Amino acid sequence: MTDDIDYEIDASDLPKRAERRPLGSPSVVVDDVHITYRVFGARRGGTAQTKTPLLNRAINVGRPDTGPITEVRAVRGVSFVAHHGESIGIVGTNGSGKSTLLRAIAGLHPPTKGRVFVSGEPALLGVNAALLPRLTGERNITVGGLALGLSAREVRERTAAVAEFAELGDFLYLPMSSYSSGMGSRLRFAISTMQTPDILMIDEALATGDASFRKKSTARIEEIRDSAGTVFFVSHSLGSVRAMCTRVLWLDKGVLVADGDVDEVCDAYDDFVKGRTNASAGAKLR
Amino acid sequence: MADPKPGVTVASRLTSAEAEALALQSGLREMGVRPPFAHYVRGVWSRRSFIWNLASSRAYVRNQGSYLGQAWTVLRPILDAATMIIIFGFIFHSSAPGIENRAAFILIGSFAYTLFQQIVMAGIGSIQGDLQLIRSHQFPRAVVPLAAVMTDAVLFGPIMVAMVILVVLTGFLPDMGGPVMPHWSWLLLPVAAALLTMFSAGGALFFARIGARTPDIANVVPFLLSLGRFASGATFSIAGLTGAHSWFRPLVLHQPVQIYLELFRSVFGNEPNVPMTGALWLQAIAWAVGIFAVGFLFFWGAEETYGRD
Repeated sequence: MTDDIDYEIDASDLPKRAERRPLGSPSVVVDDVHITYRVFGARRGGTAQTKTPLLNRAINVGRPDTGPITEVRAVRGVSFVAHHGESIGIVGTNGSGKSTLLRAIAGLHPPTKGRVFVSGEPALLGVNAALLPRLTGERNITVGGLALGLSAREVRERTAAVAEFAELGDFLYLPMSSYSSGMGSRLRFAISTMQTPDILMIDEALATGDASFRKKSTARIEEIRDSAGTVFFVSHSLGSVRAMCTRVLWLDKGVLVADGDVDEVCDAYDDFVKGRTNASAGAKLR
Repeated sequence: MADPKPGVTVASRLTSAEAEALALQSGLREMGVRPPFAHYVRGVWSRRSFIWNLASSRAYVRNQGSYLGQAWTVLRPILDAATMIIIFGFIFHSSAPGIENRAAFILIGSFAYTLFQQIVMAGIGSIQGDLQLIRSHQFPRAVVPLAAVMTDAVLFGPIMVAMVILVVLTGFLPDMGGPVMPHWSWLLLPVAAALLTMFSAGGALFFARIGARTPDIANVVPFLLSLGRFASGATFSIAGLTGAHSWFRPLVLHQPVQIYLELFRSVFGNEPNVPMTGALWLQAIAWAVGIFAVGFLFFWGAEETYGRD
């Protein structure tokens, strides 16, 4: 999961407002997708009363301190169609299922129910790509590039460029566990932008690193956005959503509550969040 | 459920049938479904350098965080074997009738069985352990258990060298049948290890699927593996100790792990009673190919579910 921190981006760092391109053919079709997590134990005294199935109660005899296996329904019945040439923002309060939905579209988290159709290979650009903390930055670039599906030769050719982009200097040859958190996320960003995909998904990646790196990463994202067919963008910064996107999906507790023009939905969402102090509080399980 | 929000629009929803028709019409591919088998095999093969890199990186970091570091890779199986030699080689004096060098017999069995055990255990936890990787990149999931298998296979390299040296040293122990002479067949040791690795990889893939959904299996399999250690005669001669007419004798003598241990011992060529035969090699190859294929197919059968929780 991403750290859901409300990063507000400086106005100077915002990318150019995305121009509206004519809509192409459909690139992503999402049909009634549900995603449910299983959580083992650790639930007692929730606010929602549930009837526990006998089997669950039998399984839980061995651990009296924790509750039953709890199902968390992160995404509940989302459907939409995206087209080539669209930049789609996904907004919603913390825990509303934005990142989970994105992962489902990228094929990384299989939906419990429903179907996802895409064109080409979607790529999720995130600052939370898995890296091996005890290995050097250089080794992580190799493993990360191969995980992205590049060939060993392509990875070798691009390693120097990635290292330069991440601005690690001699830290490149030290284990990642010795990196500051900013250095780590710079390296992750550099690794995940090694290739340009057809469908690009960006998960809070704009908020990486210090001001100078942010400028650089914004430029890189714009470059990718211009060549990618469809862009999905998850962010808590409405400023960047307005700048990057032409259409916005608003998720609330896993349900798609709004899907429409960027300004219309952003205004409504803004009113909603400002109107209440507990917008993200009180998610009930089941 | 979410509360209705005032003043916002939701674009009209398609029904499932309409969505499917639209997707087909625009030539879209469904995500999160199992690819055809041939396609899947090609996908795994094209990721071989990923498997290799992941495995060698993991092997490198395996024993960091202790003073002796990588030396533990070799020391652990040696200590394991030493324990077994003390008990079954010296205390139980007749644990291997017909075997001259009991110490070498136990050493080889113990090392070879440890390879099998390590690989199967590595497979069980592999999907759960690499959930983060699985959830951030799209690739054939068999890469993950195969990389775990490869890690232990790589680490078996130095272990094998230690095994050869120790077998030679056992020749100097008292009452063990005299010195062990180098033999041309020692060159076949890596081949035997490769076959056992392939066989164990089938088991690792099989249990990787079960362990992905039911982590509890990781608590059960160690018991099966320690039963297997004794049922394969890793530390004593199972052919010499089971009753000649007991109903389970053919069962334990022809089960695959016992065959691999026999193969390892025959490769060393120092025991007249454990000859290397063509039949032994054929059985070892057949089991390796068969079990690997079964494990791979079984793992592929749930490809679309890995990463779901």
